[in-house]
Amino acid sequence: MPNGKAKDRFLKPLVADYEELLGRFQQTESVRFEEFTAIWRNMGFSSVFYGSLAGNEMREFCHLTLTMAFNYFLPPYSFQIRVGGLYLLYGLYHTQLASPKEKIRIALKDWEQIQKFYQDSVNSQHYDAVYIIRKLIAENAVLYTAMPQMLTFRVKKKPQHHKVCEEFRDRPERVKDLISTDMLQEVANIQGHHERLKASVLERSSIAVTQQDLPARLHSCVLEFLHWQDRHENHGDADHLVYAEEKAQQVESSNRAQLLASIKTKSYGCLAEASKSRRHRQVEMDTSISGTGYIKEAPKYHKSRAPSLKARTNKNLCGEGDEQKIQYWLLSAAEEDKTALKRQKRKHSFRW
Amino acid sequence: MAAGSSSNVNENIPVFEYKDINTKPFHVGSFRTAWLEKLKPIDYSYEDKYEENEDADFAKEMGIAPETLDELKAICSVDTLRGQAEDEPLDTNVVPPDPTLQTLIQRKKKQDYKGTLRIDKISRVDHYQDELESLAVGKRPEDPADLVPEGEIILSINVLYPAVFERFRYVRPHMTLQMLGSHSLVDLRDAICCISDLQVFGEFSNTPDMAPDFISKDHFKSAFFYFEGVFYNDMRHPECQDMSETTIEWAKTRDFPTFHKAKMEDTRFYDLKVKVGYPYLFCHQGDCEHVVIITDIRLAHKDDCLDRKLYPLLTHKHRVMTRKCAVCHVYIGRWLTTNDPFAPNDPCLFCERCFRMLHYDEKGNKLGQFLAYPYVDPGAFN
Repeated sequence: MPNGKAKDRFLKPLVADYEELLGRFQQTESVRFEEFTAIWRNMGFSSVFYGSLAGNEMREFCHLTLTMAFNYFLPPYSFQIRVGGLYLLYGLYHTQLASPKEKIRIALKDWEQIQKFYQDSVNSQHYDAVYIIRKLIAENAVLYTAMPQMLTFRVKKKPQHHKVCEEFRDRPERVKDLISTDMLQEVANIQGHHERLKASVLERSSIAVTQQDLPARLHSCVLEFLHWQDRHENHGDADHLVYAEEKAQQVESSNRAQLLASIKTKSYGCLAEASKSRRHRQVEMDTSISGTGYIKEAPKYHKSRAPSLKARTNKNLCGEGDEQKIQYWLLSAAEEDKTALKRQKRKHSFRW
Repeated sequence: MAAGSSSNVNENIPVFEYKDINTKPFHVGSFRTAWLEKLKPIDYSYEDKYEENEDADFAKEMGIAPETLDELKAICSVDTLRGQAEDEPLDTNVVPPDPTLQTLIQRKKKQDYKGTLRIDKISRVDHYQDELESLAVGKRPEDPADLVPEGEIILSINVLYPAVFERFRYVRPHMTLQMLGSHSLVDLRDAICCISDLQVFGEFSNTPDMAPDFISKDHFKSAFFYFEGVFYNDMRHPECQDMSETTIEWAKTRDFPTFHKAKMEDTRFYDLKVKVGYPYLFCHQGDCEHVVIITDIRLAHKDDCLDRKLYPLLTHKHRVMTRKCAVCHVYIGRWLTTNDPFAPNDPCLFCERCFRMLHYDEKGNKLGQFLAYPYVDPGAFN
């Protein structure tokens, strides 16, 4: 069912739109649904499904929107972004134009995360988030699957992994995960045990191999780190300004470098490679492109690519071959029918 | 140890072996039980949940008053998502002017391009092909005994065509079947239509009327599936041979892990241990090999086709161009002739009527010397 082509085309603009929406939601610093719908209406997000899409494309597009949006509902995003992802799923599910509606796919491996999220929402009394999760499940909007997407073993195409947007990421809790309360408890127990053994074995228990108050010190280290994280986040804005200024200077210098590079490529790049047999005839340079203000872009409509090695070998060694392949099944067709059977070549086909 | 038992539980939860490509192998039946344990039966049932019950449960869980609940429902209703006023009729086929969303900007480009085309038609056959997917959606059976039970697993399986055609280099032509977990592998085998099953073997210029009696499907009935190191052979009929025997013997002499054998008719999908998204093999007619990929495994849903009789359900099938008769160019070719003095080239395709008209007289006598073979067009299943 899934056509890989639809996914490639629609992916980037869709992700850009999502990150715009979630970025604005993040700035409101709230998890209320009203805030979300205000942004939704502002951006006119329901219109993301408008515009007639040919054939099954609408259904595939809806499927893609839901799959992409689901990524924002899972870790490592922060709680606010995950709530935003949930609201996004709810909105997309109800405003989609495919009929019957495309469902939200939940894989077994993500169910634990979702349950934890639900519990957190219940504990923090976020009524709207809880209500929306329950409503989605009650409306049969969910498909319980093995994997979040249908997998067709497309190894040749580089699989596009979902790039985690750094701004939405949750604060790294790695230190807290490493030095958890359970671990501190165990460390204290082991230390106590060690002390007792030492006391029972040696007469002089003044030799101390380990630090006496290890658990307490670990605990204070962790607290210090958390405080530092808090302070660093609040002062992050000031850092950003300085960083932005530096970046602006870098951009200027890189612009100039780009300009120089473009002039160079223009002078050397217009020479087409002449084959060995035609070297005596110099290829003329294309100096029709004006001025220094023109930055050479890769031409989008590349009609005639340089022939590949296989094609060139074929041409050189095997000759032109049968230009006109005898079409056996057309032998008895009249001449005027033959042209009718040929498809008109489109002047230029659509490039997405 | 706690860690040991949790890894046993986790084995039934499918995870990616290679991200976004395929999963590690897992047992289908245990996957189903894992989901059914985690969900309340009402979550995956087909009936609509009553809103009052749902609201009552919610109010009880969160401990909020009915007025708050009403307010909450008003805030979270879907109407808040609609942009403009309701009285303006909205044309959803057209991209709104001055789009700000990136997706719409992209779509507007395509729409403007379409406007410049003189003729814009989608081929009728492609249109029907797209319709095929939604043909059986939401169907309920007349006989309630045929209803797909709640909590049943539906698998989507892609069976690729044998890759012998040159023109299939850039597309992967396949047929997509949907099957229930309680089906056995023989149901899948019977549902796969391959033209090599219809090939007729032999030369029939002297007896053109006897051709249909010798379909390969009836002669060579053996087939096998290969999933995760186990060969499942079709042993229903006495003339079926064990085709996997040679491969297993060969593998023993090389450095391969030992393969096992099982019977196709005894294995249901629930008993299989497979990877989702990983290619496996189906081989029949001795050498006709198809790649089989299980793309999706999920619980049944209200909107699926719920009639057992309609499964295995065909949701997608690639269309193959058919070769027409060289004479009339209207009918599909049924006969292939070689060494034929009447034909313009060697070999040559004819449809039934042109073949008879050209090569046999009114009494049915063979004219001239030629060899004729019945031809099955790859597009026979379109």
